[in-house]
Amino acid sequence: MIDARGVQLGYPDRVVLRDVTLSLHPGELVAIVGPNGSGKSTLLRALAGTLVPQLGEIAVDGRRASTLGPAERARRVALVAAEEHVDDGVGVREAVALGRLAHRPWWRWSGDARDEEIVEEALARVALAPLADRAIATLSSGERQRVWIATALAQEAPALLLDEPTSHLDLAGAYATLDVLHGLAADGAAIAVVLHDLNLAGAAVDRVVLIGEGTVLADGPVDAVFRSDLLSRAYGAEITVLRTTDGTLVAAPARRPRNGR
Amino acid sequence: MAVNARRGANVVALLIVLALMLIAGIAIGSVGLAPATVVHALLHPHGDDVATTIVWALRLPRVLIALLVGGALAVSGTMLQGLLRNGLVDPYLTGGSAGAAFTIAVAIVLGAPAPSFAALAFVAALGTTLGVAALARSGRGVAPERLILAGIAVSSLFAGLTTLVIIEWASSSASLEILSWLGGSLAGHGWNDLGWAALYATAGAVLALAAVPALNALRLGDVRARALGVDLDRTRWLVLIASSLLVAAAVSVSGVVGYVGLIVPHVVRRLCGSDTRWAVPASVPAGAIVVLLADVIARTASTHQELPIGVLLSVVGVPAFLYLGFLRRRAA
Repeated sequence: MIDARGVQLGYPDRVVLRDVTLSLHPGELVAIVGPNGSGKSTLLRALAGTLVPQLGEIAVDGRRASTLGPAERARRVALVAAEEHVDDGVGVREAVALGRLAHRPWWRWSGDARDEEIVEEALARVALAPLADRAIATLSSGERQRVWIATALAQEAPALLLDEPTSHLDLAGAYATLDVLHGLAADGAAIAVVLHDLNLAGAAVDRVVLIGEGTVLADGPVDAVFRSDLLSRAYGAEITVLRTTDGTLVAAPARRPRNGR
Repeated sequence: MAVNARRGANVVALLIVLALMLIAGIAIGSVGLAPATVVHALLHPHGDDVATTIVWALRLPRVLIALLVGGALAVSGTMLQGLLRNGLVDPYLTGGSAGAAFTIAVAIVLGAPAPSFAALAFVAALGTTLGVAALARSGRGVAPERLILAGIAVSSLFAGLTTLVIIEWASSSASLEILSWLGGSLAGHGWNDLGWAALYATAGAVLALAAVPALNALRLGDVRARALGVDLDRTRWLVLIASSLLVAAAVSVSGVVGYVGLIVPHVVRRLCGSDTRWAVPASVPAGAIVVLLADVIARTASTHQELPIGVLLSVVGVPAFLYLGFLRRRAA
């Protein structure tokens, strides 16, 4: 679905990630984890095709991502970016309906009955139907996150990339969001999600991509990535990995010295 | 949906007020005409009475110019405020009016014939705006902050040069002529100027309509709009070129008519919401009503000469807007 080969990412004045090779496959929910500033969001933007790699190549459906036009790209890859200011007065349904933008020619200002159906389905999938007529500005941050997921769903792209969709959410909200994503993956979508919370990744996804030291340090099932040495290296801090009674791996901080003892 | 029904009702109300204002604009003047006479004359263009001549030769082109100026400035303001996501943006921000003002000042000092002013102002406004856009170019696109900075800088440059021309080279009568152009006026233009301005404004309006869906998505943020498939660079150029054409068309037949492009978009958003599919079309009647009203007052308020319409809008329109927009809301 999306393949990155030997990719180097960055901005004119600095390199953020080098030598990144990874693939996203249909039906898979992948978590991208790593310390602050390690380049998780940069990687996501590149996979979405909105950031052109300095070296290497990113292909979407076998085509170079940078050669896809904006609308063509939006029909293949949906990106839920981190929080950004929304104008006052934009309604929930109105925002989700904008997810259909790439599916119609520029001279058609509104969607047809089929578009409306897809929008209602997307709203229902994230349990937003009761709030559809509210203004986004009046929603809680968790509800707002669901609006952006629904907008991405309305895009009907086979690949879905999300940048910290569970930030600002309590555990129940985060589970609910990840359940929705699991459902989509089960329906055949290729999904990558940047997660700030390591343990949420350990508990809820099948495959983890660990970013650290300016590259991909590990990529594989939770058992292979949640190793004390790998996590400690990536985060530059001592981390212990524990297994809970139900088999979930948990990254725990190592005990810190206090008051000289 | 209830929201769309309310928006639709407001647009219909705007169109009704616009129709009434057009008739009032034709009826009111140094020679007053009854509304029925106006309607009769409009329906019988080949009549040979005085009323028909007044209506068709003088007042109709003038109210249509008011409609064009108001509509063009308001559409341009609504689009630019949406593009730059900033309610402080005015269509003159990109330097069009300042460049045209300087050109007209030089033309007046050099004794260029008055009928050439509309074409000169159009070319100068379009050239300045596109020049500012070129200065703000960044990669394939235009950087919003650079556009605002370049626009303010170029506007200040031309404002300074215009003052210099007035102080150093203009005779007292030329100075008055320049000042009256700067004050804005719809007087002295006939069907010919209107025809050219309408042609360019229509071209701008067509480009504006093409940008509407992308502008709508921009309300969710630039990054989200791109993720939804909006070509941000293309949208910015489209809006800038559309706005340049609209502003140049307006400036060519009105001089500097300020505040319409700044304030009307706020009024429209309050009436029809920020959805650009409503706000952009609704800007046409809203802007036209404001300019028509101002022009009627400009023609009739003083017995010995017309008031400059731009000055009138600043002196009467801005306090009215401030009262409606801020003071009354604070009281409530």
